[in-house]
Amino acid sequence: MNLMDRIRAVGGTGNSRPSAPREVSTDCRHFAVYREAGEFPGAWDLTAETLRMMSSREIPEPLDPRKILYLDTETTGLGGSGTVAFLVGMGYLTDNGFEVHQFLMRDYPEEPFLLKHVAAGLEKFDVLCTFNGTTFDVPLLESRFLMNRMDRGCLNLPHLDLLHMCRRLWKLRLGRCNLGRLEEVILGKPRVDDLPGSEVPQRYFTYLKTKRMELLEDILKHNAQDIASLCVLLNHMADLYLHPEKIRFSEDVYSMGRALEKTDHPEQARHCYRLARRGRMGSAAGTALAMSYRRSGEKDAAAEIWREMVRERKGGAVPYIELAKYEEHTRRNIAAALEWTEKALMLVSEPALREDAAVQETKNGLQYRRQRLLRKKAEGAVIHGDSDSDEGQQGHEDPEKRRERAGSAEAL
Amino acid sequence: MNVTQLAEQLRRDHMFMKDVTRWEVLPAREARTAPFPACMDGRLKPALEARGIHELYIHQVKSLEATARGEDVTVVTPTASGKTMCYNLPVLSAILENEDARALYLFPTKALSADQVSELYDMIEEMGVDIKTYTYDGDTPAAARKAVRQAGHIVVTNPDMLHSGILPHHTKWVKLFENLKYVVIDEIHTYRGVFGSNLANVLRRLLRLCEFYGSHPQFILCSATIANPGELAETLIGRPVTLIDENGAPMGEKHFVFYNPPVVNRQLGIRQGSIPITRSISGMLLKNGIQAITFARSRLTVEVLTKYLKDLVRDPLGNAGRVRGYRGGYLPGERREIERGLRAGQVDAVVSTNALELGIDIGALDACVLCGYPGTIASAWQQAGRAGRRQGTSIVFFIASSAAIDQYIVNHPDYLLHKSPENALLNPDNLYILLSHFKCAAFELPFARGDAFGNAPGTEELLAYLSEQGILHEAEGKYHWSAEDFPASEISLRSAASENFIIIDITDPARHRVVGEMDRFTAPMLLHENAIYMHEGRQFQVEKLDFDACKAYIRSVDVGYYTDADLNISLSLLDVEKEEPFARTAVAALGEIKVTALVTMFKKIRFDTHETLGFGHVRLPETDMHTTAMWWTLPDSLAERMAGDRLKNGMMGIANLLRIVCPLYLMCAPQDVAVVYQVRSPITDKPTILIYDNTPGGIGLSHKAFSMKELLLEKALQVAEDCGCEYGCPSCVGPVGEIGEDGKRTAIRLLKELLK
Repeated sequence: MNLMDRIRAVGGTGNSRPSAPREVSTDCRHFAVYREAGEFPGAWDLTAETLRMMSSREIPEPLDPRKILYLDTETTGLGGSGTVAFLVGMGYLTDNGFEVHQFLMRDYPEEPFLLKHVAAGLEKFDVLCTFNGTTFDVPLLESRFLMNRMDRGCLNLPHLDLLHMCRRLWKLRLGRCNLGRLEEVILGKPRVDDLPGSEVPQRYFTYLKTKRMELLEDILKHNAQDIASLCVLLNHMADLYLHPEKIRFSEDVYSMGRALEKTDHPEQARHCYRLARRGRMGSAAGTALAMSYRRSGEKDAAAEIWREMVRERKGGAVPYIELAKYEEHTRRNIAAALEWTEKALMLVSEPALREDAAVQETKNGLQYRRQRLLRKKAEGAVIHGDSDSDEGQQGHEDPEKRRERAGSAEAL
Repeated sequence: MNVTQLAEQLRRDHMFMKDVTRWEVLPAREARTAPFPACMDGRLKPALEARGIHELYIHQVKSLEATARGEDVTVVTPTASGKTMCYNLPVLSAILENEDARALYLFPTKALSADQVSELYDMIEEMGVDIKTYTYDGDTPAAARKAVRQAGHIVVTNPDMLHSGILPHHTKWVKLFENLKYVVIDEIHTYRGVFGSNLANVLRRLLRLCEFYGSHPQFILCSATIANPGELAETLIGRPVTLIDENGAPMGEKHFVFYNPPVVNRQLGIRQGSIPITRSISGMLLKNGIQAITFARSRLTVEVLTKYLKDLVRDPLGNAGRVRGYRGGYLPGERREIERGLRAGQVDAVVSTNALELGIDIGALDACVLCGYPGTIASAWQQAGRAGRRQGTSIVFFIASSAAIDQYIVNHPDYLLHKSPENALLNPDNLYILLSHFKCAAFELPFARGDAFGNAPGTEELLAYLSEQGILHEAEGKYHWSAEDFPASEISLRSAASENFIIIDITDPARHRVVGEMDRFTAPMLLHENAIYMHEGRQFQVEKLDFDACKAYIRSVDVGYYTDADLNISLSLLDVEKEEPFARTAVAALGEIKVTALVTMFKKIRFDTHETLGFGHVRLPETDMHTTAMWWTLPDSLAERMAGDRLKNGMMGIANLLRIVCPLYLMCAPQDVAVVYQVRSPITDKPTILIYDNTPGGIGLSHKAFSMKELLLEKALQVAEDCGCEYGCPSCVGPVGEIGEDGKRTAIRLLKELLK
């Protein structure tokens, strides 16, 4: 066997295909798509202030909504330096509509030209908006710039990644948040005849071999639609942030509260929690609301919420424990603290409750608290040292406090 | 009792000494040192002195000097000779001089990297400088990866991670690739066969990327004692190296005891088993409080011995934590815990496969017991090196099994004591392996027409083939990756099969837990349904083996037996490369074959007595392997002259002889080659004896055997004629019970005929 035959024997033969005649490239293909302003309600009124509620990114002030670049790539694979973005679409608002410009490489030698267009495009904008761009599109383009020995600096724009922003709002209710699902459920516009993303690479490889342009039409359409959806989605979200009372689902408005806390908007967050208290997320929203008050030092307001929760029988043992802490440390009312502790203990000792590690931990914490309160009561003391406070506890740290700390670490 | 006292006592024990074939005392060796060389950065000196180091061993100095001259070096050192300094000092010097400089450390296993990094941390902390050392492997949290990529001066990883995690994503590692000054590869003697051939190709890919980024790294390689460290290193990295093989480290006195279990049946030539003997010697060490490691050859033997030793020290509650088993397939956390236990002295006895042969730091042990010959001289010394480090007396027992190679070693101790250890063979140009990595390379960076891939042959053909397959797309003289696949995920560096089986304990229905894993080739042997799977001396029965999902479900049992599966092998011909007449009537040939392995049945074997209790059937799919082979075809005329089973018995005898001779003369581990005889071979349609490479694609052993085809048969004949037995024994043609009364005579006759 000669070497070629041996390689064939080892590697197998299956999908060999004839290759097409080659084109000589001078630049890459450029397509432009225009869409009506009516498709993008509110998009021209978007402000930096609103974006700052939605994302913790640095947003330039004042914001010109026409300076946001919506970008999406179509690629030959899922990553690694052998994956190429063969189509890059960039959309933006103009004075009277929305324009999408798509750059397609008809063969690999056109890649540097495509990248030059992308770099030139990025130069003109202040903010970048993508869907999952932080983990996919941007690193991929960085990698392509690098492989072509081009400067990657143009990618350093403030970046709004809608995937993360959408997850914060809708993950609780929807679970997976891909763009197709959001278009269908959130925007109410399911796509028809859309090319599944998984088929994109193979379509392109077939195109490379045959150079039949019609193979790429679906991809171009799909890409342009994705980009327009980014703009619609961003502005739909902005509208909800400005008017949370429009939100119909308790989960969503509660999630928005959490998101607003992360972007450091406690007032707006509390507004969302209050809205969410009537629905399915009542307990969680009440707890979050009270915690938010407690963090900002408004302990009486927090206690009021806890008391309401006790009346509404929401939140399990948490409101009792929190009230016990409040009575002990803020009000210095040992007898009341003891009463709340006893009630909490009764609640967690209900036989119907499953005895898992978390319950056990809560129980231990309560027992410890009860012992301490009994001791204080016996001493008749109202003055106590720091070592006795909740903060001083080493062995039996209050689980709520630990969770809270973990939560704040997450926000950082 | 300490080791010296124990040695004295044993030497006075006639019952013991009658079965000792050699008691060798290796004298203590003095240290040879030299002052810190000028090429070492001055800031390292106080840090070394703080650790009580005022001079360096000569091999450490030479490594510093050679690397300063810009050479690639290979340092050959036994266990515990301060080899890490041979690379840490040049690397730290380079980074101290230029803080942009980067180094990449490759260790064959994760455990080793964890170990070496902690030593490096100590040095860096002592100097109080900002040199960042990070481990990058499967356990590195996603959040930490970015920091490793950006800021790590020294990135510690393993070949697998370099292959699938770093090279395909090289654009995220710009800083590393642009500034790579040193590549350190430790334990290069482990990169033999498939693993080594894979690594050589991973390095070809690495160097190709370095060239793209404009860096020219130097290599510092370390090896245990093997015959050809320089050659191995040069094959791995594809360029010449400076060999440093003078060891300046001191060593304490070491006793090496060769023990051959007594013959219990003289007619059949059957000896007492090596497992019971090991059980009593390891047990004796345990009772005397001598910390010892016992090496066994198979995972099964490890588990059996662990159970025996645990039984010796079990407390009333059944705990026996002082005795631990250790082998591949235990989960990493459990292994780290055992290693810590050994270092801290909480574990007195460990029974291990060759998994602990590598430089994992388990501290200095006093004694080592080899239950059976580990297969190569290099391995034997690595294992023996586990006992005794720089000072103090240590003792090593070699317990021979009845296997022919063990009998050869125990009766010719000089072979082990004085012969140069094996060559490590690898073949980076194995087409399977080369093709896989060539794909990865093409994915990482497009090839241009005329580009080379290291020193690999046939680049042009490979490009043509991959274009023909539509995997590469050629445009303007460049070949671009144009497939969706991620080629690095298609190959595993350590075996031809990429997926591992995971082993799930379902004893507690509410809590299924993963207890271990096993490679695809071994799984049918040890995890077939109804197999007794042993883990840390505990028995489990395999309830279900889901071959497609690669999962085995096991349940805790307590039975008095273990199981051993039979492997059925069939061969078919793919291609004949060379064929020539051999002697007067036979033919010798070299070619490529397909080996199909199938497990069909297993035996149940009782503990203690090791008698067979019964059999069971196994229903599993076959596994295929393409490899290279060489064979001798005997003329039909011979077959006609030999009636009944005579031909078969004679051929079986020759095959048994070749199994002894091949590893010795091909310089490889016994499991690297397979010898098969076929009275009517489907390959040649004639009586045929085959030798094949036991790794997919082959690593060149068959080629070597073909070039030694007369010598191998001459040596086989010599072993048969020199053996004192009359009708055959396990040390030559095999036991009479297997080959029949005329087997030995026929084998000798056939060999003489062939050699005429």
